[in-house]
Amino acid sequence: MLSVGSLLDFDWHKHSESREAFSSVTHRHHHRLKTFGLLEKPANVSPYSPEEVRYKLFVVGKTGVGKTSTVAKLTGNEIPKTHNETAGIQTSTTYWPGKITQLNKQVMFRLQFWDAGETSLKKFDHIIPACTERVDGILFIFSIVDKSSFDDLHQQISRFTSTNDDIVKIAIATKCDQHAHCEVTQRDIRDFENNWKIPILKIQNIQESSQPDFSELSRLLNIICEYLWYRDLILAGKVTKGGAVVGRRPQPPVPTVEKYV
Amino acid sequence: MAAHLICLTSGGGVPIFTRNKGNLKPLPFPVIGSLNGVHMFANSHDVKLLSTTTEDAKVVWKVFHDSITLIIVTGDDSADDIHLNNLLSQVCDAMVLLYGLEDLANIKNIERFKREIKICSQLIDKILDQADLLTVGDLTNAVDIIAAPENSVLQNYLDAFTEAADSPYGCLMVHGKIAIATKRWWTLTSKEMVLLSLLMSSLSPCSSRDIPVFLPNLSPSVPHRLLTFQLIKDVDVCVLCGPSPTLAQLEEEVGRFWRSGYDLLRSLLQLHPRNYPLSITLDSNIMGFILVNRESHRCLCSTHPHPVASSKDTIDSKRRLEILRSFYKHVMGTFFPMSDDPDKGQEEICHQAQESYISTDSHKCYTILSEPHQIFVLYTANIPTFAMRSVTQKTLSLLVKDKHIQI
Ligand SMILES: Nc1nc2c(ncn2[C@@H]2O[C@H](COP(=O)(O)OP(=O)(O)OP(=O)(O)O)[C@@H](O)[C@H]2O)c(=O)[nH]1
Ligand SMILES: [Mg+2]
Repeated sequence: MLSVGSLLDFDWHKHSESREAFSSVTHRHHHRLKTFGLLEKPANVSPYSPEEVRYKLFVVGKTGVGKTSTVAKLTGNEIPKTHNETAGIQTSTTYWPGKITQLNKQVMFRLQFWDAGETSLKKFDHIIPACTERVDGILFIFSIVDKSSFDDLHQQISRFTSTNDDIVKIAIATKCDQHAHCEVTQRDIRDFENNWKIPILKIQNIQESSQPDFSELSRLLNIICEYLWYRDLILAGKVTKGGAVVGRRPQPPVPTVEKYV
Repeated sequence: MAAHLICLTSGGGVPIFTRNKGNLKPLPFPVIGSLNGVHMFANSHDVKLLSTTTEDAKVVWKVFHDSITLIIVTGDDSADDIHLNNLLSQVCDAMVLLYGLEDLANIKNIERFKREIKICSQLIDKILDQADLLTVGDLTNAVDIIAAPENSVLQNYLDAFTEAADSPYGCLMVHGKIAIATKRWWTLTSKEMVLLSLLMSSLSPCSSRDIPVFLPNLSPSVPHRLLTFQLIKDVDVCVLCGPSPTLAQLEEEVGRFWRSGYDLLRSLLQLHPRNYPLSITLDSNIMGFILVNRESHRCLCSTHPHPVASSKDTIDSKRRLEILRSFYKHVMGTFFPMSDDPDKGQEEICHQAQESYISTDSHKCYTILSEPHQIFVLYTANIPTFAMRSVTQKTLSLLVKDKHIQI
């Protein structure tokens, strides 16, 4: 797996040089992400705008694990208080400024999360193809207070990915604020990561009080963006899978040319 | 509105779900059982149990599609049962909308149905949550509009965009109110339009959606796809499509078709929550109104009639809407016929009232029926009662004649 911080500057939001970039995507005082309509974009104060890179992420996991809540958290929307199953597909967008350490270059990541409820997924044939078409990454969501949702991941992974595709795969453990009811152990998590080579991130989707934890949010978004950027490098032939830049275990390089014709 | 809503299977009386609104504790299971039991008992003796009132509550039963029974228990507001019947029909239509008539009318596996019908909870809660609604379409069975001067230009944008979507059905929505719609959208039945607007306001904001919907009248068994795109915050364009285009395909077109309309959309949004043009000045005693067109099934409602809040504003906007809603319920079905309800023919109402009013210490209300329009106006207590009639008439004609108000 990619070691954290190998491509992106994870402390960039603390530097003064990033102030402009971050003020264009967050509400100033409370550090919450701004949301944008499709006709809107973060305002550019400086004369040159950072390159915008767009990614599509499909969010999967058992019903009720917190897919919609996770997306809400990562996009600056209000986190739902009660569980309402998502009807059909719902997409949400985040703009996130990042800095590529090696190139000393600013990039504006635009992440679009595709979230679909299980009932619609099963009942209507067009939902899965719509979500998986030209997808850049899949977020596998499970709840640490529900072991079955964790066990379900195996099935989800084989359902939506194959070992030689070039989709970024990240798992996210929700409800990490409820340690007391934790059903998934550290060991389970370690084994999963070793087995699948898929990192597990932890998230707490709770309505934050006055001072939201911006460092948690920025860490999560940076990790997601870093994996996506890494994948771009591989696709562009700039690094090989398991290349020197990263601490990733070698895997057989797989040509996936057919997929792109 | 504090209320209990109970849904059971009509055949076996198996509870499917209950929704409790207004901080009410859930009803104990034996109570639910008895409520259903008495209805089934009546039924087995060929008696149709419709409703009952207790000292402070009212209970209404209704069976839908021979498949499910809905029971609502709520505070008795002495309004005609027609309004609660209407609400139950809406709840059932909401289930059809998101789940499909076929599966609703033929429940094969109850456990599965229980699990899957949850998809409607959010919309059902929105329908029950009348106190939180900013719109009145659920009550009037006419869809809420926002009448902005920008609408006439934006119509071209919408028509072009829906054409690109290969669909005749499109509308532009602001906080659950229709700014503009294509000709065909207006041919949907009033309950379909109202339901789609309620659906939009029940959902949390996002960039785009692709929701399978079964139109209760037009296509209850074959789903359409409701595609929505958030152009700017709180302004969504919606289209009803068949199998194509995909969400991604149409989303790619959004910029091309709408970018140059950005400023128009911004100023359209400015008109919320007033909802009617700033160029119209209404009598200073008016605190709000509901204007309904019974033929076109559109309604315009505002509780912000004056640009600058005056010191007279002792009743806040939420309360104003509450008063208007209760005035509406008070007169409709009792003094005035609710024309489009099949359960209640006009013959039940023997006198043909044209106007009605109430007067209290804190406010007054006046309504005039002037086919196809009906207006309900909320006044401050300062207005002399004798003046309400002419002010209401003047207000009605001012609103109806304005070229920006397409009602
Ligand atoms: N305490 C806590 N609650 C959470 C967390 N994440 C989600 N929830 C709650 O879990 C419930 C379900 O969350 P949703 O986000 O609606 O779940 P979903 O995966 O989108 O569900 P479907 O749309 O049915 O597939 C909600 O009541 C959330 O408030 C979390 O990190 N902590
Ligand atoms: Mg969801």
